Amino acid sequence: MNVDITDLTRRFGRNQAVAGVDLQAGPGVFGLLGPNGAGKTTLLRMMATVIPPTSGRLRLLGCDPGAYGPRRDVRRRLGYLPQNLGYYPGFTVVEFVEYFALLKEMPAARVPAAVATAVERVDLGGRAKAKLRTLSGGMLRRVGIAQAIVNEPELLLLDEPTAGLDPEQRVAFRALLRDLGQRATVVVSTHLVEDVGAACSEVALMDQGKIVFHGTPAELTARGTEHGTGDAPLERGYTAVLAAARS
Amino acid sequence: MTAGAIRQAPWPALRLVRLHAASRRLPAAVALLAACAVGLRFTLFWHWDAYGALQLPLIVEAGCAAVIAVTAGSPFGDPERATGRWLPFLRLGAAAALTAVAVAALTAAGAGAHLSGGFPDVLRNVAGLTGIGLLCAVVLGGPLAWTGPLAYLLVSVYGLYTDWHPPTLSTPLIWPARPPHDLGGALCAAVVFAAGLIAIAVRGAREPDGG
Amino acid sequence: MTATAPVAPGPRPAARRPGMTLPGPARLLRLELRHNAMLWMLPVALALFWYNGYREIMALPPMWNLRAMTLQNRLLLDLAIPATGAAAWMGSREGRRNVADLVVGTARPRWARQLATWAATTAWAEVACLACVAVVYVMTARQASWGGPLWWPAAVSAAGVPALTAIGFAAGAWFPGRFVTPLVTIVVFFGLGFGTQAASGDHSYWQISPLTAGAFDIGAAPGVATFYRYLPDLSIAQVMFTAGVTLAVLGALGASTALNGPRLRSLAAVIAAAGLAAAGTGVALAGTGRLDPHGMIVIPALHDAASDQPVRYTPACGRTPVPVCVHPAFAVFLPAMTAAVGAELTEVAGLPGAPARISQVPEVYQQEPQNGITSLAGVPGGSAFILTDQVPGEPGATSAQFAGDLQDTLGLQLIREVILGGNASAAAARPSQAQLAVIAASVRPGAVWLGPSAADVSAPEISGRRLLALSGPAVRAAHRFAALPPAAKHAWLAQHLAALRAGQISPAQLP
Repeated sequence: MNVDITDLTRRFGRNQAVAGVDLQAGPGVFGLLGPNGAGKTTLLRMMATVIPPTSGRLRLLGCDPGAYGPRRDVRRRLGYLPQNLGYYPGFTVVEFVEYFALLKEMPAARVPAAVATAVERVDLGGRAKAKLRTLSGGMLRRVGIAQAIVNEPELLLLDEPTAGLDPEQRVAFRALLRDLGQRATVVVSTHLVEDVGAACSEVALMDQGKIVFHGTPAELTARGTEHGTGDAPLERGYTAVLAAARS
Repeated sequence: MTAGAIRQAPWPALRLVRLHAASRRLPAAVALLAACAVGLRFTLFWHWDAYGALQLPLIVEAGCAAVIAVTAGSPFGDPERATGRWLPFLRLGAAAALTAVAVAALTAAGAGAHLSGGFPDVLRNVAGLTGIGLLCAVVLGGPLAWTGPLAYLLVSVYGLYTDWHPPTLSTPLIWPARPPHDLGGALCAAVVFAAGLIAIAVRGAREPDGG
Repeated sequence: MTATAPVAPGPRPAARRPGMTLPGPARLLRLELRHNAMLWMLPVALALFWYNGYREIMALPPMWNLRAMTLQNRLLLDLAIPATGAAAWMGSREGRRNVADLVVGTARPRWARQLATWAATTAWAEVACLACVAVVYVMTARQASWGGPLWWPAAVSAAGVPALTAIGFAAGAWFPGRFVTPLVTIVVFFGLGFGTQAASGDHSYWQISPLTAGAFDIGAAPGVATFYRYLPDLSIAQVMFTAGVTLAVLGALGASTALNGPRLRSLAAVIAAAGLAAAGTGVALAGTGRLDPHGMIVIPALHDAASDQPVRYTPACGRTPVPVCVHPAFAVFLPAMTAAVGAELTEVAGLPGAPARISQVPEVYQQEPQNGITSLAGVPGGSAFILTDQVPGEPGATSAQFAGDLQDTLGLQLIREVILGGNASAAAARPSQAQLAVIAASVRPGAVWLGPSAADVSAPEISGRRLLALSGPAVRAAHRFAALPPAAKHAWLAQHLAALRAGQISPAQLP
């Protein structure tokens, strides 16, 4: 298991953003669904070792990231794309991805090729030398994906990765996810149920800091057969599960 | 929270001003201006030599101008610009009010102490330096608006130095080096201040790229 | 986006030869160098230096000591705002650009990342500093008549730059708010300025300021570090101080967050402690300073006694009846000097008591309470003279003042030596009216003392009596004698000097 979480919680003052989450995930694409404020981003940030949990057990890639040494090792094998992507506007696409490759302590000799590969994989080869300030929102998102995958991570955490991507790019991105999921654990947090349906082998649904559903997309769809509302089967399953959890 | 739970503010205009002030961190700016005044009072306990007496207050005045200039930056970007007619007045009012606060605070700090030049000097210098800062905010953006006043500070410090070590750099464009009641220097400072106020009111601070 | 990625022939970094791959930290530094705010501030920094420091320095006489020490007084002040501001800007970058989550989740320690950014900022700031030094030194090398570059003033300035950028960077990193960059810049600039004003005496701790080149009340004087070597004592303490501040601030940056891991934090804490110790030692050493007789600060713990030996030189001499010889660093003033006192030299050349030649000797200084400094040597007399501290080109010093000072000192000294005999008993004796009249008439400013407004003019003393203490007949006699050409004065003195010295000549007997 690349991700092994037991009873994980995180508080911000009085607000309990994550309230006792259990999760195990191996290689494959794992979707994380939930309404706004459900705790998805907080969970992802803990998995990205950006913030520590308040309590509970978290093991990533076989290591306990609570200690500095293992945490550093995890970060070398991790890729993370946050929900709000900041960037340095004066950097070019290549420079931005290279910067993060270096921060991830990739062997220097591998960096140029890895950067080129990552940029090509997100279809920005033609804009590799463009400054980030000249890129559209969708292109910036793809740059963010490139920096997350440059080190060929074993654990890839993506928070709203398809925000700003057009439908064609979303289709290509889902294919990329499936390809990455063959070797790594990919956790995708998203509002878009169709992304989950197309790319994920497993899905968890969070609400109010807890996981209220964990299964396959087909199982989620089945939950919406009778009680769900929505335009698509997965949406109906989503709403049915939430309604049941809140009742 | 439902719409019904939100009460109508009794003074909408005041509420708007308050929110605008909070968005520009004006309360923090006022606190910093007060701190600058305290710093000036502290330095006035010493007796400085000839040009030191003028240069050190000028440094504090430039600090105040830099603080005022960086408040011009907006955290909202495009959405704020695509609103009604009040924004230019809010920008103008904020800059003018902070300038007035700075002048008042520094003058009060110098009361009863050996503040060379007194109120006329403080008013002229702070207004002129603030004008430079506001113009920099329009061109470079709020976060970089401090570059103009501080670069001009260096030029002015040297100008003051040449008052005591000729040849004197005597031009109204370096108004801090002019005597307090010099009309040319005051006019230059006033023009720059007015230009800065108008520019910031009409254009606002340039938005920084990305991030 | 490609799912399985055959690497398409897109844009690639330039191919590198085997073995040429830069290590990771070097690549990081290279990225930072290319995108550093200080790069944009370079023209601002250079323009400010040109406007403030360079023009003033180049207006000084072409003497290495004057220009190097004035460079130290000015350079850091001109660089403080661009360097500190750029560093604070770069330090606050992660907060401003909302990349905190991105960079925190990477493997490289935060301190390593920050040091790369700081190093790049400092590198560009040092480029500005060294460029300014290079321009001043190259220009001075072309113009100076003697000596070579003084490296310690430049070293102090160069060592001060990392301290400025470290303070700015740390402030920006710790407090990435909109007000921090301008405020820390102002505070640093204020601190530098305050430091130059607060020094008092030769053992003031405030002289640790890197802007202080030499004793506070002497500073960059022409005679300092000319006859004797430039003492590096204070400079060493200042470098120790600025290096210590740099290490302390950078170490605190590394030790202040758990993101750096325990071992790195411990190392950073050790570095911070070492930096504090170095800075404190520098300050303490500055407090032990004392003014040496040659106008420089000696710090006993750092002093090398070999530096106290005078510098050997071949004097530059003018071609006048009585040659005036100066240190070669002052050779550029020789024409002005011989013009100022030429008449006196012609008048006394070859007369009994007149020196065969006159040589410049160094001034001797003594520290008084507070910032007072006195010169002990006064007018040495005989064949020695001390050149005025204000030479043309220095702020406020004009050629006319220089000539007047020379006449007041050297010219008067020469005439007095010859007319009064120049020995101790003669100096103690009350000069006669005729003697005073000849002296007043021989020294060109004497014409002023003898004028209608003579009562308003401060005249020098001769043996305790001011030249103004001339009675009516003596004034008329002085006017007559002053009207004679130098050669005629010389001829008369050649015949009557002995009688004049013996007091046997009355004012009426003067030609």
